[in-house]
Order: sequence, then C-alpha cells, then structure tokens
Amino acid sequence: MDRRTFLSYNAAAAAIPLTGAALTSLSEAASAAVRLAPIDFKSNVPAAGSFPKRWICGSSCCMDNTDPPVQVHWYNPHTAILRQNKAYSYEAPFAPLYFGNDRVLLLDEGFVQLRNDWDLRGVVDQCINEWCQRNGRDPASLELLVAFSHLHADHYAATNQFADRPNTRYMGLTHEEMVGFWGMTNFPEERVTLDLGGREILIWGSPGHVVSEFAYYDSYTQILYTGDMFYRGRCYISFWQPWFDSMKRLIDFCDTHPVTHVMGCHVEISKDGQDYAYGMTWQPDEAPVEMTVQQLREAFAHAQTITKPGIYFTGTVFLCNQTRGTTTIDKNAYRYS
Amino acid sequence: MAQNSAYNPALSGNPQSATGRAYPNGNPDLGYNPSGVRNTDSAVPLHRDKPVLHDYASDGPAPGALGFRWTYGSNVAAKNRDPRVQVVQYNEDTFVLRQNVCVHWEAPFTYLLFGNKGALLIDTGATAAANHYPLRETVDAIIARLAKARGRSKVPLTVALTSGEDIAQNQGLVQFAGREDTTIVPKPLEAMKHFYGVGGTWPSGSGKIDLGDRVIEVIPTPGTHRDGVTFYDPYCDFLFTGDLLFPGKINIGNDRDFIASLERLQAFAANRPVKWVLGGHVEMMFVPGKYYPRFATYKPYERVLEMTPDLIGEALKYAQEVQGKDMMLIRPDFALFNGVSPDQRTQVWPEGVPNINPPRPF
Repeated sequence: MDRRTFLSYNAAAAAIPLTGAALTSLSEAASAAVRLAPIDFKSNVPAAGSFPKRWICGSSCCMDNTDPPVQVHWYNPHTAILRQNKAYSYEAPFAPLYFGNDRVLLLDEGFVQLRNDWDLRGVVDQCINEWCQRNGRDPASLELLVAFSHLHADHYAATNQFADRPNTRYMGLTHEEMVGFWGMTNFPEERVTLDLGGREILIWGSPGHVVSEFAYYDSYTQILYTGDMFYRGRCYISFWQPWFDSMKRLIDFCDTHPVTHVMGCHVEISKDGQDYAYGMTWQPDEAPVEMTVQQLREAFAHAQTITKPGIYFTGTVFLCNQTRGTTTIDKNAYRYS
Repeated sequence: MAQNSAYNPALSGNPQSATGRAYPNGNPDLGYNPSGVRNTDSAVPLHRDKPVLHDYASDGPAPGALGFRWTYGSNVAAKNRDPRVQVVQYNEDTFVLRQNVCVHWEAPFTYLLFGNKGALLIDTGATAAANHYPLRETVDAIIARLAKARGRSKVPLTVALTSGEDIAQNQGLVQFAGREDTTIVPKPLEAMKHFYGVGGTWPSGSGKIDLGDRVIEVIPTPGTHRDGVTFYDPYCDFLFTGDLLFPGKINIGNDRDFIASLERLQAFAANRPVKWVLGGHVEMMFVPGKYYPRFATYKPYERVLEMTPDLIGEALKYAQEVQGKDMMLIRPDFALFNGVSPDQRTQVWPEGVPNINPPRPF
C-alpha cells in the first residue's frame, strides 16, 4: 500500500480478514464494533465545542504544583485537546486528539520523553478507551496516528512512548519521512486529505518557523491548527519569505473554507497583551489558545508592512522576524540612569 | 569459630565491665546516639558554665569548605523532592543557604554569619511564602542550635540585603517581620544609607555591622541595582557581592556605577585579604562561557559558586569594554549584559576560550 492509498484507506475494514485461530475472537469483537452505525462527521458541521475558560498554567512554586501533568479537555465528544502543565515543562504545548470511525489522530505531544517523567501514552490510551466506551467501540480496532506539526522536540519528543503500541503509526523525524507520511510529492503547496473514517483532515505545508511544518484543518470542528508558525505568543520566524507564503496559503484557505477557530501550539502572552518571557513556568493570566480568522487576517495585513528583521506586535501575536538568535522582548527591570 | 577464643579483652589489656558481657563489636543496648555525642562542636568545651566565646582572630582566612554539591532542580520541576532550603555549613560560624531551583528559578544564595554577640543574614531569597520556602524556620533552627551549643540565651539577628529592590533577594524578608531580637536593614535607599551611616558619603565610604569580634564591612556597590551593597567578612575573607558580581548573567543597571563599584571593590580587595567572592546566584555552567537560560528549573551542570578575587579585575576590564554600548559580552566565568534584554544572545565567542557544548538535559 502506498501513501496515497493509505490516506483514504479504511483501517478497520482491513482488520476483518485476519482469521488466524487465535485472532478469531478479537476480529469478531472488532467486526462487531464496526457493525455499529458509524458516527456521522459530515452533517451538522461545524460541530459545536468549547475551550476551557482557563487552562492549567503552572504555579509560582513548581515543586508545589499538584495539577495533573497534562490537562485533557474534551472540546466536544469526538475531539480532545491535551495541554501540558507548565510546571512539567515551560514549553507546555497543546496537542489535539481527533477521533474518527476508524482512526485517531494525535497531533503533537507534550515536551516529555520518558514515561516515568509523565505518561503521555497512558493519557492518550485512556482518552481512546473513554471514547470507545462512550461509543461502543473496541479500542484495538482503532488505528492511532501519531503525527506532529513540525520538527521540534517539544512536539515529537514523546514519540518513543508509542513505539510498542499495537495498531499505531508514527511520523518519522526527518523532513522526507514527514512529507512522505502524508504522501505529499509537492510540499508545501499540495493539500492532501486524511480520512479518519468519515472525518476528513486537510493537511498542507506551512514552512517558515522551520522548514518541515504542516497546517491541519479538521473538517468536523473546522479548527485550523497552525502549529508554531502562528500561535498566541512569539512566532519565531526563521525564514521570512516561506513564512509569508504560508500565511498567504492560510488566508487563501480561510477565503474558501469555513474556519471556526485558528489554534496554535503554545500560549506565551497574557490576556492584556503582556509577553510571558521564554522559559516561564507560570502564566497566571494567559490568553486563550484559540484565535479568530479575523486575528489571522490582521496579522497577515501587519506582516505585509514588514520589510526588516525585528519584533512586531500585531495586536494578537508577536512576529519575531529572524530574531531568534539575537534579541528578545523582555527588558532589564533594574536599569537606571 | 567462637569469638572468645580469638579475642579476650581482659587478656588483651582492654578490661571491660566485670559484671557485663564483653562487646567487641559495640553494645547494641546503648542506642546509637548516647547523650553527649550529639551536637559536637570543637569550639565548645565539654563542661561549660558560661557562654562560649569564639576566637575570630586567625592567620589568613578561617578554614572551611563548601563540601557539597548544590541541589540543581529536576527535569520535571513539579516532581522535585529536594529540600526547599539547602543548608551547607562552611565552618562553625558560617552557613550558606540555597533556595531550591524548583521553588524559584533564581535559586538565590543566602548567607548566615555568626559572631560572639549576634548573627547576620545576608539576603532573603526569592519567595515570600513560608510554606514554599521556609527560610525563617531554617534560620531559626540554625540559630537555636548554635545558641544551645555556645550556651547563649540570645542571638540578636540582623537581616541585610545586597539590594533592597532585587525581588530575587528581598522576598523572604517578610518572614522575619516581628521576629524577636531582630534588626531589619530598611529597604528604601535613603533609609538604608542612613542605617549604615553612609548617607553623606554614598557611594564612597563604608559602614559596619558588628557581630561581636567579627565586624562585617558594608561597601556601597551600586551598578546592577541602584541600592547595591557588598559585604566583607574579615573572618572567612569573603566578599558577598549579590548581583554585582556572580558566576552568571550580570545585568548591568548603570554602566558608570557598575565600573565605579568594581574599581572601589578592587581597591578594597587590594588592602584586605580576600579568599573568595561569593555572589547571589549561579547561572554559568561548568564549561567556560556557557550559561543556563532564565527560568531554567534544571541545572545539572552548574559552575561552582565561589569566584577568586582576580575576577574582580576581569569584570572591571570587560565592563569598561561594554561601557556606553548596548551589547552583551561572554567571559568564561560570567556574562555581562549592558542595555540589552536579559535574554539577549550573541554570536560572538570570546577569543582563546574553548567552545565546549555541555550535555543537554535530554
């Protein structure tokens, strides 16, 4: 099976022909599960959902933090959003978990490597079990796809936790493997459609923060997930022109598709636009992770006026144009003359 | 083989109790900590009937050692279970306390010095909440133990700050409010100058804090903070410089003051013996010129705290180089930030310094 067919391949249907003696009961259970009426992800879209008023966001004294290492928020019954606790890593990335009839897609991970630091795999397995229980499925019949938005460790470090998980595919850690995972031959312009079993995810390239980055659009909730190239904080733009082109692609997409929320991987800014410096482990007043299409358009309009490297505030995000290796926003509070 | 046939204490000239058993390997009934062996202190005579006076006169620096590695936080800060305040005793009259990195990333050092008449606490840490950072409780325990060992009913405490405005060092001060026999050096600049008696002469001149035969000198050293002071301990020959000079990222508040203070410090060190310069933080790694970023809660490859006094001269030399310029400058034992963001980075690597990449946390 090549990658093209994989994208629209019905994983659960393929499980039925497995008829080894030992597997009979399993495949019966699986096929029994499949015989349930499939969930309809195509009508009544966008599916309603909600973000929490406030995410778990670390604490002033890290070692006294008693929150769970990851917050699991069910946006709606078929969509979970995970967010790492800031006291477990300052990166505290968000990670959506999209459920379809045949497959589950995990986008990004927390910044964690070892299961005994904290157990992302266990949390994801538990989410899948919960969802299956609610919907009368067999967890073993669902294929898990572990993918990430881009090639940075806070988004892929936990991949090894899934290495021994049955019925799981995970993205490789090179540009070629990432692009190949989605069967793309014309990165970044090409837009492919991943079928989770009645729920379609649209994927295309959005380089700029790094070379290897994707944008993901869920046709069910109509959330546009923009990774680290556009998020509520400091968008570190390593390559201006590719980033600008990627923004243009996002705008063009929003012109032709309904988008309920634009969502990035991190939040590094307070509700009143104050920057939370890189590395902070407590963001008591942080801004929501979701943004509107209007905010994206404003940022693009602002970006069109930018000609030089530097840090620019669009009202929603900081555009750090090629400044990663040189300067940052924060000032020395104790300067005097 | 029966032990008695091999070893008879009486025959070996090692008479034991005539009525009791012989205990060649120790008597288990006596317990592990019989009274009298605990709290040994060589400065304290065995049978004392009046308060013990310590002799603080010594040739050269008083002996002592920082014999332990500093706690350095953990990869997952929320799971750290190290002590909140790490206490390292340098010698019988000198303690170094460090705040746990996972309580506050600044992980400041706090110093507790004893004289014959009192104690001095230099700096108070970055966290006010006593349940997160029990500085007062720790200091009280150290003082109570020392008072008992020395046979003193009272140990008046002075709490002083290397900078009153520095929130990485002044937060624990509230824990000492209302403490008995305690003098708190006022935080506001003018009141502080007045307390040390340097109101008219600031920033030249110097003040004193007498701990009883151990007189700590106070040297005004603005530069990183407008109200910065440095303390000199003539017993251990230490300079406590706070944020002015420490192995880390030195954020210069005013470069003219910074240079003037380093010049004054250098002149001071030329007239007195100085063994070490002890700052308020460690941010450098043990490879030259590399440092931890702000907010790091896991610093397993830290440089040692102590700096040799020749680094005053080096800091002065390179401070003159950055004067009037908005730039950062890396040296093996510290980095200077003048007029730039504390997160500033640079591609410029100092000449002649090996560029070693330390191991990453993971």
